[in-house]
Amino acid sequence: MEMSQDTRRRPRLSYLGVFGILAALTVVEVGVTYLPLPRIPVLVPLALIKAALVALFYMHLKSDRRLFSVIFGMGLLMGIGLILALIALYAPPLLDIK
Amino acid sequence: MSQAFVSHPSEVTSLGVDNRKLSIWTLLGSESVFFSSLIVTYIVMRGKSVSGPLPHEALDVPLTAVNTFVLICSSLTMVTALAAIQRGQVHSLRRWLFATILLGLGFLSGQAFEFTKLFGQGLSLSRNVFGATFFTLTGFHGAHVFAGVIWICFVLARAFHGGVTRDNHLAVELVGLYWHFVDLVWIIIFTVVYLI
Repeated sequence: MEMSQDTRRRPRLSYLGVFGILAALTVVEVGVTYLPLPRIPVLVPLALIKAALVALFYMHLKSDRRLFSVIFGMGLLMGIGLILALIALYAPPLLDIK
Repeated sequence: MSQAFVSHPSEVTSLGVDNRKLSIWTLLGSESVFFSSLIVTYIVMRGKSVSGPLPHEALDVPLTAVNTFVLICSSLTMVTALAAIQRGQVHSLRRWLFATILLGLGFLSGQAFEFTKLFGQGLSLSRNVFGATFFTLTGFHGAHVFAGVIWICFVLARAFHGGVTRDNHLAVELVGLYWHFVDLVWIIIFTVVYLI
């Protein structure tokens, strides 16, 4: 069975630490909606940070075989490309982030 | 080991990884494209409804924020379950898997409550563009969560029959990858649909 040694020795505290960050960022995200701040430039990066934390630490991409990062990354890139392409085609003002 | 859970020798691919783990990551890569298509459809169709209810009228951000927190908690319990079996702690694995199931069901209950509330406001798949894109996106995500809960139940059953050990716990890892992906997708959906 493929399992990185790093994931076996990873202390549980780091999982809790990641959870704390995810929870805190969620609170920040909701808080931003009540403030007079531009939403897309603030919320999109926060969401991407949260997603990255889940992928890197909970899904162990950071410590596992790079092949899995490549496979998953290819899917992500295609998905992101699809999103950007269709927004550019059908809702181009969304890409003008102020 | 119970005859019902005999593990067949895994195939080692030419890439040197277990074929089942390779399959899961390939699945998650394709699911990324699938959910991207639903998310971008929601994005480009925003503001195109000719009648209500509209997002700012219908969506309950605080309720969904709590639901999001529940799902994040379930990711923690899932990864803790994996850490437990990596240390050979089967009892702990069972507890954390059970907790994950409960939290998953809690999330689904929150979704069901929200859907019921939205139906009561007159929103549906056929009501307007917002209804169509919203329910398609969150409905498919909910279906994935439901499938994940069922899958975790099977793994938990296997754990109770001695089919999961410190040296044979790929099943926990695989379901954990799927579950974390479902959480990851919801993180994006929550931001795009409810917050922006």
